[in-house]
Amino acid sequence: MHLAHPSSAPFTLSILIWLPLALALIVNALPARAVGRAAAVASLLPVAVAVTFVVDFNSHFPGLQFVTDQVWIGALGIHYKLGINGLNLALVLLTTVLFTVSLAWSAMREVDRPHTYYFWFGLAESAVLGAFLAQDLMLFVAFFDLMLIPFYFLVGSWGTGERVRATIKMVIYTMVGSFLMLAAAVATGVIASGDHGTALNFTFSALQHLPLSRTDENWIFLAFALAFLVKMPITPFHGWLADAYKSMPIPAVAVFSGVVAKVASYGFLQIVLPLFPHAAHHFQVLMLIIALVSIMWGTAMAFTTGDARLVIAYSSVAQMGFILLGIFSLTPQGGQGALLQMLNHGVVTAASFFVVAALAARAGGSERLEDMGGIAFRAPVLATLFLIVTLANLAMPGSSNFIGEFMILLGTFDSHIAIALIASVAVVGASFYALRLFIRAMHNRVGGRVVSLEISRAEAVAIVPLCLIILALAFFPQFGLSKSEGSMRLSTYAAAQPGGNASPSLPSAQSAELTGWWAYPPLRQLAYSPQKPRRVYTYRTTSTHRTLHS
Amino acid sequence: MSPTTWGWLVLLFPLLGTITIGLGFRTYSRAAGVIGTAAIGLAFVCAVGALIALLGRAGTHREVVSSLWSYDVSAGVDARLQILVDPISVFMMLVVTGVSTLIHLYSTAYMRSDEGYSRYFAYLNYFVLSMLILVLGGNFVMLIIGWAFVGAASYLLISFWYRRTTATGAGIKAFVINVLGDVGLVLGTFFIFRHTHTVSFLGSFAATPHVFHTDSTDLVAGCLLFLVGAFAKSAQVPLHTWLPDAMEGPTPVSSLIHAATMVTAGVYLIVRLHPLFQLAPTAGEVGAIIGCLTLLIAGTIALVVTDIKRVIAYSTMSQIGYMIMGASAGAYSAALFHLMTHAFFKALLFMAAGSIIGAMAGNQSLDRMSGFRRAMPFTFGCFLVGGLALSGIPPFSGWLSKDAIIAYVNNRGGIYEVLGILGYLGALLTGLYTFRMIFRAFFGEPSPEARELEHGHIAHAEVPTNPATGEEEDMEVGFPGPEHVIAEREPAMKIAMGLLALLAIVGGFIQLPGVSHVITTFLGSSLADAPLASAAHEPSNGTAWIGLIIGAVIGLVGITLAYSVYVRRPGTAARFQAALPWLHRFLVNKWYFDELIDVLVVRPALAIGRFVETVLERIVIAGGVTGGVTAAVRSGSAAVRRAQTGVLRLYAAAVILGLSAVVLYFLISST
Repeated sequence: MHLAHPSSAPFTLSILIWLPLALALIVNALPARAVGRAAAVASLLPVAVAVTFVVDFNSHFPGLQFVTDQVWIGALGIHYKLGINGLNLALVLLTTVLFTVSLAWSAMREVDRPHTYYFWFGLAESAVLGAFLAQDLMLFVAFFDLMLIPFYFLVGSWGTGERVRATIKMVIYTMVGSFLMLAAAVATGVIASGDHGTALNFTFSALQHLPLSRTDENWIFLAFALAFLVKMPITPFHGWLADAYKSMPIPAVAVFSGVVAKVASYGFLQIVLPLFPHAAHHFQVLMLIIALVSIMWGTAMAFTTGDARLVIAYSSVAQMGFILLGIFSLTPQGGQGALLQMLNHGVVTAASFFVVAALAARAGGSERLEDMGGIAFRAPVLATLFLIVTLANLAMPGSSNFIGEFMILLGTFDSHIAIALIASVAVVGASFYALRLFIRAMHNRVGGRVVSLEISRAEAVAIVPLCLIILALAFFPQFGLSKSEGSMRLSTYAAAQPGGNASPSLPSAQSAELTGWWAYPPLRQLAYSPQKPRRVYTYRTTSTHRTLHS
Repeated sequence: MSPTTWGWLVLLFPLLGTITIGLGFRTYSRAAGVIGTAAIGLAFVCAVGALIALLGRAGTHREVVSSLWSYDVSAGVDARLQILVDPISVFMMLVVTGVSTLIHLYSTAYMRSDEGYSRYFAYLNYFVLSMLILVLGGNFVMLIIGWAFVGAASYLLISFWYRRTTATGAGIKAFVINVLGDVGLVLGTFFIFRHTHTVSFLGSFAATPHVFHTDSTDLVAGCLLFLVGAFAKSAQVPLHTWLPDAMEGPTPVSSLIHAATMVTAGVYLIVRLHPLFQLAPTAGEVGAIIGCLTLLIAGTIALVVTDIKRVIAYSTMSQIGYMIMGASAGAYSAALFHLMTHAFFKALLFMAAGSIIGAMAGNQSLDRMSGFRRAMPFTFGCFLVGGLALSGIPPFSGWLSKDAIIAYVNNRGGIYEVLGILGYLGALLTGLYTFRMIFRAFFGEPSPEARELEHGHIAHAEVPTNPATGEEEDMEVGFPGPEHVIAEREPAMKIAMGLLALLAIVGGFIQLPGVSHVITTFLGSSLADAPLASAAHEPSNGTAWIGLIIGAVIGLVGITLAYSVYVRRPGTAARFQAALPWLHRFLVNKWYFDELIDVLVVRPALAIGRFVETVLERIVIAGGVTGGVTAAVRSGSAAVRRAQTGVLRLYAAAVILGLSAVVLYFLISST
């Protein structure tokens, strides 16, 4: 069954996924001097491809678009199925952009063994894109684990400080989660086919209509949740975070925290909520409390830590807590907020890490707050950019981050008011730690080892584009909201039903006025638009479309 | 042009000003001041345009909405980039842009020798832009955006001289307390949205009577949370501690924060949301009581503070207390009237204080100032006009507006009557502390600086120091600049102060009981549906005049007291201090609010942070979780390693055992 969309992009999604790896292999043929620049310039190509998908995307269609569906391992029912819907569209674009920025940052610097370095970056980008685009459970698990390999080498070989310990910690943590997820993924397909007497099939769309028994759903949910919570990371599964973030090279930590961690939170929306709605409903309060603990924990740590990079790292823990809060509010507002916040946080946290690197370069290589101070003096442009990043990081109203948090808290407020009220206290805490970092670095008396210099071209190449994106999103956060509305309603609908009602049934063709996807209960509201008839596409036909209310 | 087109233009000019000055900060020298002042001046012209366009419409059609694009339209939320132009927002626009233009003009001279001249004007334009977004926003989201922008702008300007640790500390304090207010606003919006399902003002107000009854729990909760926002922004007890510290900013910034922008936002908020507060009288009472408390507490602290800017700062708190009390009680037009006159005379007082601080070479202590009357006649005249208006002496503007609030509050009866009488006590304090300041700074024996100035020289400090700590200033950046300016020698400052003095004298006459009702009439169409603003609650002309006379007498009594304490018998104040040392300590320490907040909020928060870092993170996460997982993996791998003995027989046995287990499993499960 193809849910293909009539309008199509000039490329298939496979090209988007494998292009970064292919480009990395091609530039590897160049001499060491030129590899970096070539890799950075070449990485603009995936950005362009991603942009064409965003442009061609039909926001009114909630299902999968640009689908590629081939049987990969027939005997096991594993498909090589890729697709874009409202949930992963913006994240795919974010991935390509962040990788380009990180490569540009690297290209302006001397890197040891550049050939392998840029190869791992290319592989990492392909793996992340694959994880975002995969529409088959086993394919997703494969890409999810593939993501770990390049970062294992990037930390191990190009890291600083206690990189070996950091690598081992990170790998063990992630592998424990990944193995559980692999087992759970296998179990999902096998049990589903066993219970319903169908052939083995791991695609999301098929599994969605093969509900599991409640007990099976519960333990499978927990396995998936654990894998994702470790990767995000969420307290108390963040033990690997401090060491890993501290030792990763800056471009790697920017993409890791910017997009790799987002794969996990995205997994909740794309996989867990639609596939295990009853369990999601069952464990809702548990997950909300974990999210709340994570928010408070991250905030408290960011309050006190004296390391600039760790302030950003722990603020990420708090932010990921907010994202989890939005997802498990199980409301469309919360989900939309969480998705927007993934986009915002990806941009802002990457920018923050680059800024921290720029600060360290001026404070004699130290990332300790006590070695900084007064940097704004001869660096007004850097100070202004840092201020923009800071204000976005603390989700000041007027930034897109605020709209994300606003929607998250609104959704939580609707479902569990007390948790929303407690979580909002952390917003005040965020303003304190973010400004504390800014003031300690930029203002007050000049630190002992500080040499204040204006932002250099090598720094601007990463920080300026990200700041421009932050500003653009601030004026138009709707960009991150409008395309995902329909998909989000589909994703959260089943889990939001009290008592875990039946999973959404396939749209019935008999429905009098509404056909196709619009017969779905969660979408009916959207489809009724009294002002103007909306052009919608039915899911069965690939070549025709009908107009509602015509 | 329609009123909303003018409204968008009002926003456009400060935005362009900010961007132009910000992008070209390296190339401008004096041009930044001109661009900044012109941008705000043009915004004022456009505000007048909006006023004219609005007056051209029938009284019932004066609420005009316009949106640019969808901002957050998703999952039932309907926030667009939207402005609402109605009499309330036009009134606020006029006050904000008008007074801000004069403050910009004053700044062009006052900040001349500062290294960060361009940065200053970029921030100043941004501040005005933020305040205009706040008053023009057509839905709760826009309001919150403006609200937070004002907080951010105030942070930037308070810590403008960022090399001073006192300034950055004051800045972060202001910002964090203001974020607390933002959170209050956000949560309040949630409570309202829960029932009205819209974030637009007009939609919410239309739905309010249908979805809430009087004192509905959610409505009261929402209104109380809005009040938290209002208290944080308007420096009401106990969220006021940032305001006196905010004096770390340049003096014109204090003038801007206290007169035209920022602190008046809380009053605007209550007036803007009056359809909600009308139905939540409990929240209204809370607001009125807090406002009344604030005006008394601030008045008593102002009696003992010796920093001239801080005395004026506490007087602002006290005056905003009157406005919050009035607005919460339902005296909407009186509160906005006082907001306007206060903007005139408070901006004037700060400008005059800036001039005298210039003459003192940066020193702000009243203990050092004395006898500037002859040396600075123009500054003295302006300060006197501002002081008389502040004390509510006829015929100055403050007299008419403050007593309008008290008369209304008294007229409402019940608990409000008590608050009204306490309001008169506050008026007595106002006269006393205002003229304490004037008598100490301008009367008596001229201080060395004043004497020098009488001979035509402005005093210069040998080594510039931070007046708060005595710390030596960083000369390269982040200090007020080596040159000191006084109004007597600067035409720009003279024009700004002269215009404000004129407004402080005559500005009150547009609203004279029984004679003219410009403000009540203009705001009438916005407040038409508010029962508390109806004629039944307004005091009659007779009552209003009795209130005015009482207010004038009390103000004069306060001034007379100040005269007898500080001029006739100069030792009296010291004797009081000696007789009641505990009271003096209590007031000098500002009722220990800073210490209280420190003990209740700041220390626990930091302690929790340290606890999480040193105990939870080290022991639970690093020790327990990480250690546990690593140990499990390690022992598991060790066990597997031990199994690799290389003995073939053992391997074979394991294979056979495993196979038989599998066979057994299938045998059992198939039965």
